[in-house]
Amino acid sequence: MRRKSILFVALFLFIALISGPTVSADGIEVGTKLENFKMTATDGKEYSFDDLKGKNGAVIVFLSAQCPVVKAYIERIDTIAAEYKEKGINFIGINSNNRNAESLEWVTNDAAENFKFTMLIDTDNKLADQFGATVTPEVFYFDANNVLKYHGAIDNDRSGKNIQEQFLRTAFDAALSGKDIEKTRTNAFGCTIKRVGMAGK
Amino acid sequence: MRQSVNIRTGNVLLGAFLVLFLFAAGAVAQSPAAKVTKIDDKAFAELIKPGEKPLLINFWATWCVPCVEEFPDLVKIDKEYKGKIDFITVTLDFEEELDAAVPKFLAEMKAEMPTFLLVTPDETAAIKSVSKDWQGGLPFTVLYRPNGEMVYSHQGVVKHAVLTGEIDKLLPAAPEN
Repeated sequence: MRRKSILFVALFLFIALISGPTVSADGIEVGTKLENFKMTATDGKEYSFDDLKGKNGAVIVFLSAQCPVVKAYIERIDTIAAEYKEKGINFIGINSNNRNAESLEWVTNDAAENFKFTMLIDTDNKLADQFGATVTPEVFYFDANNVLKYHGAIDNDRSGKNIQEQFLRTAFDAALSGKDIEKTRTNAFGCTIKRVGMAGK
Repeated sequence: MRQSVNIRTGNVLLGAFLVLFLFAAGAVAQSPAAKVTKIDDKAFAELIKPGEKPLLINFWATWCVPCVEEFPDLVKIDKEYKGKIDFITVTLDFEEELDAAVPKFLAEMKAEMPTFLLVTPDETAAIKSVSKDWQGGLPFTVLYRPNGEMVYSHQGVVKHAVLTGEIDKLLPAAPEN
């Protein structure tokens, strides 16, 4: 009997070990707790997620130096980032494109020119794979406990001319006031993340 | 002497003008202005409804480098399967490109597939209505049976042989001689 119990526990631990964070075909699921990770940024320094997050959490935003959709969002991202940094939510940029698509120098200069937050370099698109991130810009908002609260688009309009829904702001405001977030998952058209070995620059 | 030089210069200029005119006329004939139709989410829903033939849709944008790279293959497929399938392309370019970059690009590609520019306030719904596996990255290509069943979808550059192989599966086999 005791031997069976030990085997059962061992099997359970093995399954828990190999399953890792909850990842579906749609990416990590809302409610998943992110394990702290370390990554090198465009300034050459290594940062951990816990170093970069604010007292009320952080947004990981997948970005690109060349994507016109990202370019259309720069001003909006900077405005939201500045506003919510004051409220304890920090932005963390990530570039997961391969180096054939975007050189490190290009990404470094673009980050310095356009964004006031840290830009991490996701070598071999490991974090993009872990998250199931596919396009730029694409955001993942984690609360103070590193639990994913929202995944998807920043708002409903890439051009910025006809914004009807501010998905990310709405998610922040709900979470900061202790309410449930109504829309926790959205999609938007964007530039495909150029993973290692992928055709097309 | 001077008069004959002037006449000869005039002839050369006239000839050059004629050559330029013919070249320009030929270029215009080869690149007719491509028509792009703006659609909203309702028109888009109608567009992807099943028909009598297999339906191939390619989602792209002029700002999407892999989309531009694969486009010549799509034009080739359109010519190869004309009349056998319905093939449309949907661009996700910004609206101001409706009469600018999009028709210019299509003319350069000599593309004849009907092309639509989608403008919708709910991109999540549009994306999910095409495929549950699509997250919005471009290019995206999807193939439906005439009954509306999706048989193939791919986010990223499509290979000509792979796509034609999938289309061929939906077409009646050619009679053996």
